[in-house]
Amino acid sequence: MSSVSHVFKKGLAGLLPWLLPIFILIFWELSAHLGWLSSRVLPEPLAVLRAAWGLAVSGELWTHVQVSAARAFIGFAIGGGLGLVLGLLTGTFRSAEIALDTTLQMIRNIPPLALIPLVILWFGIDETAKLFLISFGVFFAIYINTFHGIRSVDPALIEMGRSYGLSGWALYREIILPGALASILVGVRYALGFMWVILIVAETISAQAGIGYMTMNAREFLQTDVVLVGILLYALLGKLADSAARLLERRWLKWNSAYSAT
Amino acid sequence: MQVDQLEIAHVAAAHPRDGLNVEVRGLVKRFDERQVLHGLDLDIEAGQFVAIVGRSGCGKSTLLRQLAGLDTLSEGAIHFDGREREALGGEVRMMFQDSRLLPWRTVIQNVTLGLSGKREVLQAQAEQALAEVGLADRANEWPSRLSGGQRQRVALARALIHRPRLLLLDEPLGALDALTRIEMQRLIERIWRQHGFTAVLVTHDVSEAVALADRILLVENGRITLDETVTLPRPREHGEAPFAAIESRVLKRLMTVEALNQRNQLRGRVRDILVGPVMSEVRVDTPAGSVSAAISTRSLREHSLEVGADVLAAFKSTEVMLATVD
Repeated sequence: MSSVSHVFKKGLAGLLPWLLPIFILIFWELSAHLGWLSSRVLPEPLAVLRAAWGLAVSGELWTHVQVSAARAFIGFAIGGGLGLVLGLLTGTFRSAEIALDTTLQMIRNIPPLALIPLVILWFGIDETAKLFLISFGVFFAIYINTFHGIRSVDPALIEMGRSYGLSGWALYREIILPGALASILVGVRYALGFMWVILIVAETISAQAGIGYMTMNAREFLQTDVVLVGILLYALLGKLADSAARLLERRWLKWNSAYSAT
Repeated sequence: MQVDQLEIAHVAAAHPRDGLNVEVRGLVKRFDERQVLHGLDLDIEAGQFVAIVGRSGCGKSTLLRQLAGLDTLSEGAIHFDGREREALGGEVRMMFQDSRLLPWRTVIQNVTLGLSGKREVLQAQAEQALAEVGLADRANEWPSRLSGGQRQRVALARALIHRPRLLLLDEPLGALDALTRIEMQRLIERIWRQHGFTAVLVTHDVSEAVALADRILLVENGRITLDETVTLPRPREHGEAPFAAIESRVLKRLMTVEALNQRNQLRGRVRDILVGPVMSEVRVDTPAGSVSAAISTRSLREHSLEVGADVLAAFKSTEVMLATVD
């Protein structure tokens, strides 16, 4: 008896956060029906669903999502990889820090989007320019967090490792890398969020495919419903990437009680 | 499994490891301008259990880190079995005040840290070491799930698996509650007797030193100022009279040394003693004026202080201590 009411309460508690969004959706749909809201400003939710369905059935949606996701992840792999390697290098070797860190900190203060004119001059308007922008944006989030992660590994543990005969790669693998991992993953999550922001801007400049191209195209034809589908897709992809990063945190940091909580 | 056990026995037999003989000569350690150890000499017989006591900052931990090879020495020499101490040699292992377990490795992975060899052999060795400290059933847990005492037992297993000939213990029980501490003392003593390594324990708990050590050294200002041999039969009971006698002797000496610190003392003569039921008050005339010290009536009776006696009044942040002048 009590367990039934408990389950019911738990389900109700799970529903509560969704009440407001559902209410907004209903209100939105109603306003569109009653003519308060012009479909040129904001199409009704059902129209957005119909548009998404149409694009999905025609296969157009998947092509665009694929192109965008590929851009995002190739850019992330290049920028993030470089950030990780350089962060490990400057975090580990004082000499590398002296040689590189000041320069990198200066470049870090340039907003990636300010580089757009220069990037277009360098690479034109095709794929390379977009990948460059994404890599550039992602690089610093991972670089900084890797650097700080390495630097903040407990020196007492390193000393213990040395006194137990660890050195070189073994010390790195057993103590330094795992100790820095939490911070590196924070960088990854931050970089993933930033990755989508830059992708959106890069794709609206000029593209022949991708979610950005799809929405810009729809704008030309005043298809507000398709524009909205594009925006929602970005939100969805961003959420997916963030969930993937959280999953990594739970897996790799399960020793840490702050992450192991299910 | 059978094979593994044999292999372990074989490895153990191939390296019969008894205690390491330690010889320290003229050890000096400076940190920048500050000198912590002032030409310290020390000999420890193989297999002996030595406890080092002293106030915090007296240099006892520095001495231990020197023996471990964790810091470079400024002057002097340390020899193990007549050979020069090598930095971070495999014969010496250290237990730290905080267990220093890797939080991202399971208990058993922590125990096998730094060992190389066949996985199954290591596993079996680690299980054996954990069984020795009574934690065989916690092998696959994260260190964060263990209590402070259990973590220190894992740290002990991690040290033991290397079969050290010199085990250095840097206040490993300092953070534990009284009951766990006594349990751990028994465990350390049992393992020390089984393995026969030389042990050096740094502690600020005099009763712990008396319970465990063959020899108690008092370090003050970077020098050894007391070397007390303890011959009580083992295992020692905290409550027994000879135990308490040694404990109070070392404690008294510790206090005296503290009082004799040059910077914060005044010579004077006892003017007045007001005996109360529990606490008594002693008034002392010094060149700087009259000083009043509160002393328990019991210790006053034991030390027979008289009016007119010459004393040293030593000042601590919260109290005044008295020492008789010889």
